[in-house]
Amino acid sequence: MSEEKRKVLEMLSQGKITVDEAEKLLAAIGEPDNEAVSSTGGKRQWKYLRVVVDPGPGSESKDKVNIRIPFKLIRAGLKFAAFIPREYQGQVDEALKEKGMNVDLSKITPEDLEEIVSNLDDMTVEVDGEDKVRVFCE
Amino acid sequence: MLPFWLRLRVCKPGRRGFRLWFPVILIWIILGALLIALFPLVLLAALITWRNGPGRFLLFLYPMLAAVLWNLSGLHIEAKDDENDVLIDFA
Repeated sequence: MSEEKRKVLEMLSQGKITVDEAEKLLAAIGEPDNEAVSSTGGKRQWKYLRVVVDPGPGSESKDKVNIRIPFKLIRAGLKFAAFIPREYQGQVDEALKEKGMNVDLSKITPEDLEEIVSNLDDMTVEVDGEDKVRVFCE
Repeated sequence: MLPFWLRLRVCKPGRRGFRLWFPVILIWIILGALLIALFPLVLLAALITWRNGPGRFLLFLYPMLAAVLWNLSGLHIEAKDDENDVLIDFA
């Protein structure tokens, strides 16, 4: 029995709340938002990583980007990336450096990648400029 | 779950361009048959190159490929600018 249910029953036994109130409270405790809360740790379980770029107010640009990537696909793709042969990792590092990302892939373990992805769901980025950029989970 | 349909759109804004609903399940069937046919060769190559080659990668290639394909469903990429309008959607 959860701590919350026990407290409700204690309050009922002490006469602090009525039976009807206890019933309502127990119903509220017993029906969490299944879509947003996982049964494991109470942490939200998002399905997708979204990247949305819209033209900002007053912007002449008509560029629009709408990307939805399943988290499971990101995880599977990262596992794939972990198997890049060492002789090619240098080339990948160089290509990333050219794009401004100074990352040494050989030092990133599959566990590190998993941790990055598992913490992505807490992230929301909003950039308001010429274009409005939003990175979030849903 | 494997995606059944691929929705593809490549056009210029305001024009009809190229639009396609493709039953991508057909590709998975062909790809599956091809992978099964190639499996003995891949296994042999993995064993030969295990010590100083991509043997480990080859051995894990099948499950990793399956994991990527299985989770493609829901992938949606849409980009639009003044000249191009591109949509790739696995449903």
